[in-house]
Amino acid sequence: MSKKILVVDDSKTALMMEREILERRTPYQCVTASDGREAVEKALQEHPDLVLMDVVMPNMNGFEACKMMRQQAGTREIPIVLVTTRGEESYMEAGFQSGCNDYITKPIDSAELVAMLQSYLGE
Amino acid sequence: MKSENNHAPGGSAEHVVTDARLAAAQKRLAESQGQEDAIDGLREIVANLLGSEELGLFRLDRRTETFQVFWSFGIDLEEYDLLRALGDAGLQSVMRGECHVERTNGGRSGETAKAQAFVPIRVANQTVAILAILRLLPQKMAFDGSDMELFKLLSHQAARPLFGRSAESHKVTEGPGIEV
Repeated sequence: MSKKILVVDDSKTALMMEREILERRTPYQCVTASDGREAVEKALQEHPDLVLMDVVMPNMNGFEACKMMRQQAGTREIPIVLVTTRGEESYMEAGFQSGCNDYITKPIDSAELVAMLQSYLGE
Repeated sequence: MKSENNHAPGGSAEHVVTDARLAAAQKRLAESQGQEDAIDGLREIVANLLGSEELGLFRLDRRTETFQVFWSFGIDLEEYDLLRALGDAGLQSVMRGECHVERTNGGRSGETAKAQAFVPIRVANQTVAILAILRLLPQKMAFDGSDMELFKLLSHQAARPLFGRSAESHKVTEGPGIEV
């Protein structure tokens, strides 16, 4: 069974782009959510192998969702990669403090994304 | 300041990236639900796929034959002089339908703008609006070949979702002081 990635972004364009990359270049299955709150719910329901999540979102941002997933037994061990438009060191530090495993900056480079996903999930 | 017009994309590895980005942008524009959603889509495409959060859309006013600010994001364009930014050569390029890219060190003090792009939004071989992408995100160093492909897509496919049927009746032969 193919591994599953939960892709989270409030931007329809970002979701479309990330889905396109996953479908064209990886064997991974893709499920989506459009904000942090929905991401936490979907992570509990879908048991993804990895979460790829934007930071700036309505309702619940990526940092908050990341913290919440780390507090729940069902999602505590899932690798989380944050996607952000801001690459500053202080911002990334906040991401790691929220419990993320890695981060990638926008605009996403598809080769970089695929390599990162493979490093967590394998070919 | 160095300027250039659009050029061909790179090799096959880059082409996969380009395809995914083009497919996403094309789908987003095509699925837009009205003007507001189309504008949101344009902002998302520029932010997520091109790496800029300072942009503006200027529409050609047929009556006055001037470009007017139609919408902006991340920057106040009230005092912005589009024609000065473009220059004569740049203006002629966009009126012909070519994207115009400037490499520049202008902008806020102490910061480097790196590049600006002016993308003609076209209907029936006429430029009816200009998308100005004014500042790249810090991690984005320059526009590349795949960005040029995305500019072309926007140039040819953004007018209908953005302006609806009015775009099709918005045909002009000349713009503000423009002789194409």
